[in-house]
Amino acid sequence: MPFPEFWTWLEGLPLAEHIGFTWWFPFLESIHVLAIALVVGSILMVDLRLLGVAALGYAASRVTRELIPWTWGALSVAVVTGAGMFMTRAATYIEHPPFQIKMVLLLLAGVNMTLFQLRTFRNIEDWDTAAVTPVAARIAGATSLLLWAGVVLAGRWIGHTI
Amino acid sequence: MREALASALSESQAREVAVYLLGNVPGLPPIAQSLHILGIAVVMASIVMVDLKFLGLAVPSQNVSEMIRRLMPWTWWALLLNALTGLLFVVARPNRYFFNPVVGWKFSMLVPAVALAFVVYRLNKKDAGYWEQSSLRRVSARVIAAVSLVLWIGVVLAGRWIAYADYLFFYE
Repeated sequence: MPFPEFWTWLEGLPLAEHIGFTWWFPFLESIHVLAIALVVGSILMVDLRLLGVAALGYAASRVTRELIPWTWGALSVAVVTGAGMFMTRAATYIEHPPFQIKMVLLLLAGVNMTLFQLRTFRNIEDWDTAAVTPVAARIAGATSLLLWAGVVLAGRWIGHTI
Repeated sequence: MREALASALSESQAREVAVYLLGNVPGLPPIAQSLHILGIAVVMASIVMVDLKFLGLAVPSQNVSEMIRRLMPWTWWALLLNALTGLLFVVARPNRYFFNPVVGWKFSMLVPAVALAFVVYRLNKKDAGYWEQSSLRRVSARVIAAVSLVLWIGVVLAGRWIAYADYLFFYE
């Protein structure tokens, strides 16, 4: 992994040692789980709407617009608490395959969402209230669901292997 | 009673099966725990969203009575999934869970949370729009929602702390 000195430096910070050796670590971890449940829960509601299986009585754009702030808010909490846990053993995590897989899956989820926003969401007026959603929207929704389930699994895997 | 149940479970064949599965099916412990977390995500997307809606914090364009009818069946399925994935671990190591104080905290929040969810669902099912029909009911719904929200957050936090109780309390 590049920047080996950086990861070691991060671990040596007083904050990292404080988190690692006190009740802060389990505290951050429990908040992390709560935040991820809200991230995945809110994304699930949007994805099921994109798949055309739930909330069909509401416009897709409306469902998305009202839920995405919860996703971003919860995701920020998950990132902060995750970074706090990461820094306690940064050099180990960064080399650890389940951690690397989790980061790749997160990146792919971000790419999937960006592509959807830039392409399919742009002409949402055409299918906003339609009973059947376009194939591109269904693919984006299904991909997102699989990636987030993978993020959760990879995250839990870290706890069993480190 | 708790001792009797724990020791009966410890000596049961169910325990042998659970221990065998957790030890021999590749990846089963993290997979079962991930399903448990995904079940919690569904709880967040159903009863917790209804609570947030009652409190005026989320999904302003949706109708709460319709939300309860549409979302809460998901709550029951998620709770069933979580009962099953959770039981796998409890049956495998009954003593670890039966005598763990954090498990006691979790269930003393989970039981009232489920009871409140049932009341919200049931009354709205019998009489659509039940919670919006008078100002007293609207206020009651907000109080129930606030309590429910705190309870569910407590359940999730306590759930994660069960694993750390080994370091906090010394018990056998």
